[in-house]
Amino acid sequence: MIELYAVTDHPTPPLPDVAPLRVVPCRDLAAVCAPAGDPELSPEALWRHEEVVEALMRDRDLLPVRFGTRLPDEAAAARAVADRREALAVALQRVRGAVELAVRLLAEAEGGQEAEAPAGGADYMQQRRAAAEVAAAIHAPLSRLARASAERPSPVRNEVLRAAYLVDREAVERFGHAVAGLQREHPRLRILCTGPWPPYSFAEA
Amino acid sequence: MTSALAHRDVALVDLVDRLLNGGVVIAGDITLAVADVDLVYVSLRALVTSVATAQEKGALPGTGSAL
Repeated sequence: MIELYAVTDHPTPPLPDVAPLRVVPCRDLAAVCAPAGDPELSPEALWRHEEVVEALMRDRDLLPVRFGTRLPDEAAAARAVADRREALAVALQRVRGAVELAVRLLAEAEGGQEAEAPAGGADYMQQRRAAAEVAAAIHAPLSRLARASAERPSPVRNEVLRAAYLVDREAVERFGHAVAGLQREHPRLRILCTGPWPPYSFAEA
Repeated sequence: MTSALAHRDVALVDLVDRLLNGGVVIAGDITLAVADVDLVYVSLRALVTSVATAQEKGALPGTGSAL
């Protein structure tokens, strides 16, 4: 059983020495895989997987593969890539030269206290509108620095924005400065920015 | 909690979002069936929720690991 980490160009630079990685070529694409261990679901297992993909990302463009993708052997991996070669090539082209940055935005009410629960429907609608305005004030300027962006619903109250930005590698520093500037302009918000991540949110093929 | 560890916990929320919802799905057995992914969420939810709560209370730094 092998585990897939990424789809990348073939040929590809030498693989990093972080796992017993192998390249499975399929014409101008390749899957990067390693022998699969016992399936394990824990923060540590997620971080281990992430470290491999980040090491690969340092010196190549790639599509990160969904965590937990396992195949019987390398021949099966080659077939899987061959089956979707054109869509994968288009998706890889879309993220070429870019990385993903994550932004979450936490709104604080007056005096840093948690927002009060809305008293009724009208209050609720007003809070929703205010949250959307705050989110847009952060999201719009960051989107302009990104090649693409994606928002996802947040399960956390007070978190008014949970977004991913596909940013050119050379624009990452500028994006970071922009985040710092927005944080200074909006001291009552907390902007949580992490990355660079492999382009997980932009890898759909 | 050290600052580095706090950063890592902030990033864990983003990591879970990305590894379990993102990435390209290519043909083949995804060993983590939907039910298993739900289990991961259940086991990680306590941690993620406690991180989110800490953020709301201002216990964690305002920016993540890289920026």
